Amino acid sequence: MKWRHEHDAVDIVIVGAGAAGGVLAKELSEAGLSVVVLDAGPWRDPQKDFASDELSMRSLAWEDTRIVDGTEPFGMGSHHSGRGIGGGTQNFTGVFLRFHESDFKTKSIDGVGEDWPIHYKDLEPYYSRIEKEIAVSGPKHFPWGNFNGPYPYPERDPLSPNAYLFQKGCEALGIQSAVTPLAILSAPFEGRPPCTNRGFCIEGCMPNAKFSTLIVHIPKAVQAGAEILPNCMVTQIEVDTQGHVNGVLFVNQGTTYRQRAKTVILCAHVVETPRLLLHSATPQFPDGLANSSGWVGRSIMTHSSNDVYAKFEQEVRLYKGTPVLASTQDFYETDPHRGFARGYTIHSHGSRPIDMAQGISKASHEPVWGPQLRQIMLDYNYYGRLTMVGEVLPQWDNHISLSAEKDENGMPRASVTFNYGDNDLKLIDHAVENMKLILKAAGGEVAYVVSDTQHLMGGCRMGNNPATSVVNSYGQSHDIPNLFICDASLFVTSSGGNPTNTVMALAARTADYIIELASS
Amino acid sequence: MKNHTYYPTYNVMDEQKEWDSHTRSIVTSRLQREHSHRFLTPVEAETLRVWCALLMDDHRGDIIQAILTHIDQTLAENKGEGQRKVNVPPLQKLLRQGLKAIDEAGWIADSRPFFQLDEAAQKQIMRQISDASYPLTEAWEGIPQKALFHKLLQLSVEAYYSHPLVWSEIGFGGPAYPRGYVRADPGQLDPWEAVRKP
Ligand SMILES: Cc1cc2nc3c(=O)[nH]c(=O)nc-3n(C[C@H](O)[C@H](O)[C@H](O)COP(=O)(O)OP(=O)(O)OC[C@H]3O[C@@H](n4cnc5c(N)ncnc54)[C@H](O)[C@@H]3O)c2cc1C
Ligand code: SF4
Repeated sequence: MKWRHEHDAVDIVIVGAGAAGGVLAKELSEAGLSVVVLDAGPWRDPQKDFASDELSMRSLAWEDTRIVDGTEPFGMGSHHSGRGIGGGTQNFTGVFLRFHESDFKTKSIDGVGEDWPIHYKDLEPYYSRIEKEIAVSGPKHFPWGNFNGPYPYPERDPLSPNAYLFQKGCEALGIQSAVTPLAILSAPFEGRPPCTNRGFCIEGCMPNAKFSTLIVHIPKAVQAGAEILPNCMVTQIEVDTQGHVNGVLFVNQGTTYRQRAKTVILCAHVVETPRLLLHSATPQFPDGLANSSGWVGRSIMTHSSNDVYAKFEQEVRLYKGTPVLASTQDFYETDPHRGFARGYTIHSHGSRPIDMAQGISKASHEPVWGPQLRQIMLDYNYYGRLTMVGEVLPQWDNHISLSAEKDENGMPRASVTFNYGDNDLKLIDHAVENMKLILKAAGGEVAYVVSDTQHLMGGCRMGNNPATSVVNSYGQSHDIPNLFICDASLFVTSSGGNPTNTVMALAARTADYIIELASS
Repeated sequence: MKNHTYYPTYNVMDEQKEWDSHTRSIVTSRLQREHSHRFLTPVEAETLRVWCALLMDDHRGDIIQAILTHIDQTLAENKGEGQRKVNVPPLQKLLRQGLKAIDEAGWIADSRPFFQLDEAAQKQIMRQISDASYPLTEAWEGIPQKALFHKLLQLSVEAYYSHPLVWSEIGFGGPAYPRGYVRADPGQLDPWEAVRKP
């Protein structure tokens, strides 16, 4: 393999071209730094390589085997991470929320989790910048949190039958609902068309109506001079005798290459970033890089994402429209009467046939199959569905480590251990009850509850104290100053809302910091 | 129970000229009956043929063959599994050894391969395996029964609900690029959507 910076030590090498890596690549190359981005997966063309098909588009996910452990092992793969240029933004649903002020201070406010080393105010300008840059569509008035709109682009119209039913249910119960802020266009923008409601966001958006790093930040980074290398799996971060990082090793088609760099930024997402740090251990850093605290891989979080299906007298047709179009955050903040801390968002959430059949087949403690499953699915068009995004509190025991099994590059497979805590379970029960009430109020008959998880966060958390965190608030490793980590693994708590707006805002903030360091 | 469809005349394939060519080629390939398997042995294929038909409660040969083709491809390509629980063997081993143990269950029950048992006996064995209560023999060594059952269910579901005949029956609108949907109020339909027949 030949590439432009083969023989150079570039200013910046970025590992992972996902939500965070894309923002950094664009900002840093536009600031004049030399940037190489390595991604383990391919560089796709949405119009040729995406399809309106659930099964074949599973290939957008990180499919490599991970060993899972714990009472509530994650379903990894397609639910949790993407692979290839664009990372998880290729196959994300596009829900684009900000964290609330309380999310950054759960310890001080509620006595749970840990405080972030930053406040909401530190991210506010970056949220605004990112939302404007990608023309987030959303309501004129968003009733919750610190930002109440208006959004850069108008809210989506029309919604979907499922979203209208959700709104009806909420209204009957006096629960506020709003059209969901989405990284999906409601009107043309920068040559891209508005959404056509085809419903296949998780399969990758063919018309390019949905924002993705693949179609937005990567082309801009290339324009500014960044070199993007697909199908390059980084297997090792290299350290010099002074204890600074000086490059990475990566594998392309079975051959190992080296990219030297003055600064390394890991944006490989929640499982692969700790895996890489742990695997890059040296005699000087025997427990893995950036790990003097022992916190690398620790306190990973997901969101509880239980679905509730209800059957209606009339057709709903869950396949129509962007999957998420209406939401409520009325239960987002702690309410002491509920008997647990923190909260959740509820979304109306569409579903295509495999997704629904797969969910229903595991809806009870015994698998659902045969005539029962077939009958339910013959009524596919009569089901409505809601889903929750529930805060999961950080716990030291939930962690990424290296398993004994190796992959084809000889790298130990990641092992992922996860269990819900008591607070997490109480919160889920509460949310499921509310989802049932809303569906009933909309006229549905509650039928199935499917437990599920979504989104990954944590594993290299930020903090001011090097003994209890991996990086500072700019993602700079406490142990190795020219090693940055900047992806969803920085998260200290998970919040009760979808995380990617925060991932990208943090990346934009880190980019500013690195540019400042470089110019001083 | 007699399965019924609300949409007896709907055929999602009638719309294929409206789809982009990449999606169309993926979907139409599922309609081609393919016989030569790359991973599965003939006995494994026969075991799966009855097993998957019972799992999906559907005995139509073409559709079940599409499931087998999907399972065979998944095993032959041997890409990552996304996740695997500790103590569950890798997919190829889980299925190869698991199918052998299922076949053996037939010999133990009635001196015949599993696929030749009568349906009631087959279902009985399936239920036992689904809750891990089938008596352990040497063939089950290292093969968790629940994990095997779930894997086969997962593979069958994803192939079955990718089949255009099944889409038509459940009234799924199918691929929707480039045209998308316009009518979104409950009860409103775009012209190509399935219409319920009384
Ligand atoms: C199905 C699905 C739906 C989602 N829906 C939403 C939503 O609606 N709203 C929301 O806010 N979030 C959603 N998310 C989550 C969102 O995708 C993530 O929060 C976001 O992508 C995380 O960004 P990241 O930069 O940390 O990692 P990613 O975007 O995952 O990027 C990581 C990149 O690193 C690459 N990589 C990994 N290891 C290596 C290595 N060793 N060498 C080279 N490259 C490597 C990967 O190929 C990948 O491209 C969804 C995710 C999924 C999977
Ligand atoms: S629903 Fe809209 S955003 Fe989603 S894939 Fe279709 S066109 Fe793209």
